[in-house]
Amino acid sequence: MGLSMYGRLRVAVLFAALIALAGSQQALADSPSVTAVLNNDQVAVGETVQLQIKVSNARGAEVPDHISVDGLEIQRTGTEQHVEMNNFNVSTSAIYDYTILPMTAGTFKIPPQNIRIAGKNLTTPELTLHVTNFGGSPSRSQPNGAQQQALNAKNIGFLEFVVPKRAGYVGEVLPVEIKVGLSSRVQFQGMPELPDPNVQGVTLQRAQEGEQNIETIGGVTYRVLTYKGALAAIHAGKIELPPLQIAVTALVRRSAPPSRAPRNRSPFDVFGMRDPFDDPFFSDPFARFSGEPTKILLKSEPVTLEIKPLPANPPASFSGAVGHFAMTVDAKPKHVQVGDPITITSTVSGRGNFDRMGAPTLEDERGWHKYPPSAKFKQDDDVGISGAKTFEMVISPNDRKSSIPPLSFSYFDPLKEDYMTVRSDPIPVQVEGTAVAAAQPSAGTLAPQPGAATPATAKPQDILYQLTEFGRVQSFTPIYARPVFWMVQIFPLAALLGFVGLKLRQAKIDNRQAQRIAALQHEAAELMRKLRRNDVSPEEYFSKASRAVRVKAALAKSIDPNTVDPEMAANAFQLDENSREQLRKLFARSDELRYSGRPNGARTISPHDHDEVLHLIENLRT
Amino acid sequence: MKHQITVRLYNCSNIQLLLRFAGRSARSVVVILMLATSSALAESGAQFAKANQEYAAGHFKEAVDGYQSLAHGGKWTANLFYDLGNAYFHTGDLGRAILNYERALTLDRHHPEAQANLRIARDEARALEMTPTSGERFTQFASANQLTIAAAMAFWFGVFSLARWIFSGRRSSGAIGLSILSLLIFAITVASIFWIDSGNKGRGLAVVTENDVEARLATADNARSVLALPPGSEIKILSKRGDWIYAALPNDLRGWIAAKNAEQVRL
Repeated sequence: MGLSMYGRLRVAVLFAALIALAGSQQALADSPSVTAVLNNDQVAVGETVQLQIKVSNARGAEVPDHISVDGLEIQRTGTEQHVEMNNFNVSTSAIYDYTILPMTAGTFKIPPQNIRIAGKNLTTPELTLHVTNFGGSPSRSQPNGAQQQALNAKNIGFLEFVVPKRAGYVGEVLPVEIKVGLSSRVQFQGMPELPDPNVQGVTLQRAQEGEQNIETIGGVTYRVLTYKGALAAIHAGKIELPPLQIAVTALVRRSAPPSRAPRNRSPFDVFGMRDPFDDPFFSDPFARFSGEPTKILLKSEPVTLEIKPLPANPPASFSGAVGHFAMTVDAKPKHVQVGDPITITSTVSGRGNFDRMGAPTLEDERGWHKYPPSAKFKQDDDVGISGAKTFEMVISPNDRKSSIPPLSFSYFDPLKEDYMTVRSDPIPVQVEGTAVAAAQPSAGTLAPQPGAATPATAKPQDILYQLTEFGRVQSFTPIYARPVFWMVQIFPLAALLGFVGLKLRQAKIDNRQAQRIAALQHEAAELMRKLRRNDVSPEEYFSKASRAVRVKAALAKSIDPNTVDPEMAANAFQLDENSREQLRKLFARSDELRYSGRPNGARTISPHDHDEVLHLIENLRT
Repeated sequence: MKHQITVRLYNCSNIQLLLRFAGRSARSVVVILMLATSSALAESGAQFAKANQEYAAGHFKEAVDGYQSLAHGGKWTANLFYDLGNAYFHTGDLGRAILNYERALTLDRHHPEAQANLRIARDEARALEMTPTSGERFTQFASANQLTIAAAMAFWFGVFSLARWIFSGRRSSGAIGLSILSLLIFAITVASIFWIDSGNKGRGLAVVTENDVEARLATADNARSVLALPPGSEIKILSKRGDWIYAALPNDLRGWIAAKNAEQVRL
């Protein structure tokens, strides 16, 4: 409703004009074309080069999968489709990638290839490829001017054998590095196995694990594995180390050459513009994980070593060590008997060829027995050229000693270009005891001179004579483990038991006597209590009085109270004559009253008699 | 009743007969044992003399066989092992020579000839020796057997003194002091016996008898070596596992040794 008839007509004309313009542009771009380029026309044997055949303004081109050229292996490895629009000019193209692996050196002509497009045959131009024996690719920066490197297979990978120092002495440790660089844009099957140079006259120690880092060289990013190692020459002279070789299997991507280097200006890029979508990811997102497996040989440059011999007349303690070392020495125990072992621990630390190093030696071995040393090496680095080697040597003194002789260790210092000798101080020890008297030497065997060295190959000493007396048969069983020993112990045990029994019996007897005395004392006290009463008959009174005298006498003399008579009682208490007479009368009166059968006189005792008898008995004391 | 008395009389006469018979039998047994012992000693002496003759004639291997047959028969004397060591020495078997000198010295620690020849053999073999422990050095003045007798005497003296002190009416401090001293001596001697028996030169002492023996970290021939042991070297057996023994070595080391390469000193 908003537009008039005139306005509608104007829009229709403009649209038709645009259609016509677009149609004219499409008509201009419609003619298909074919061309072919090499991304490098000069390579080395074993290196790969990319061949690209570009078909523009056409779809469904029929290209060969394989191109036959003697000396070259050419395989199709991928296809890229491109759509470009410049100023409304839309063009399409297809790039067919081929990988060329030269097998021999020479100049090769890649013949024109027929490309069939929509029933038409188009032809690629003839291409020339120069193949040399050694890579002529551009070099990386060389840090110290000694690195040899080769960027092989046009930025797919490289192998370097870095030997910074190429002149040295026999046995000197020369640090090396082996670098394997693989392009981060290329997928590889497995990890390559690092080669060892198999050259006679040289030994190579290298770390088992390499250090991995990322390096960008010439705009290409590489995953670089660096293995540190050390070379040592066995003989003097010029030693040629051949190139190291390593085979890697690359999954060559179909979409693009394996380089993110500043792209060479493509011969197809007429306007020199980079399409933001010109990335392999957009053409084949899975290209990173797939591709044609291609075996690629990486090779390092050869290395020449100039090895000088060690100077003549080395010190006596030189055992082949080359480098720079220090030594510490200790010994234990320091207080021993003659013949006891002493362990000398010497530690040689520093940097050099520890694998050829011998143990430090005693400067004076006289009077000592020396045993073969053992060695342990503790390395401080990954290669084993820096660390400390500990030697343990057992020696034993043959006679009294006050110190262990110094140990010396010699090595060749490549910096000073001379032999160096390190020497320990004498280690004070205390050796006690005396040397065992040598056996009587037999005829013709000379006794060793005192203090003379005992050479290891000395004639064996004669042992002492044979004994003809058989001797007493003995047992190795200790005496405490023999039954007879324990049987013998029965005798003192029995004696002890007898002694204890005797003592216990004696105690028991003593106890019985004490009980008897207690009973008598009790009886005496009871009798005295009754005698103090006045209501007792004369028979009972005198009977108890005589019994009290007997009990007291029995207590005084430790005898049976029934056996006591007046005389015995008087003697027991050492009475005077008057008291004796009273005692006799007491016993007579008691007997009379006991045996007369009837009472004689008064029925109760008179107070006078009572007091007299009581007084007499109470005064009976020893 | 009469019958019973008769029986008892009969029994008494029978016992007397039995006792008489037993007495005669005991005497006979003693006589027989003495005769057998003297006969065995005479036979051992004859074998020993024959082995000595072989030795004197320079037939050392035959001498070794003669001495070995006596040793296998349990007739162990210090002189036998000393002579056996000498015979081994002359056959060049320094390991077994040292072993038998050590055995002689175990039976008689003051055997002067064995001491001298042991030193010579060790020098020849460059054998390693175990260092005596501090306890062994402390008790080196006496043997385990001597210390055992001393311990028994001290024990009984102490026990009797204690018993006397307990049962004595007058308990003197001197008696209890003597008792304590005796029992202290007993304790020290028992500890000394333990030190000697379990020390480096004690019950576990063994001698390497073969050449090129190495003590290793594990029970395998290719295990890492701990110490090379020349023949005649002393080791102390700590434990056994199959064909291997775990031993304390000279220089305070420890390692595994094939059991066939060493023999224990004490039989």
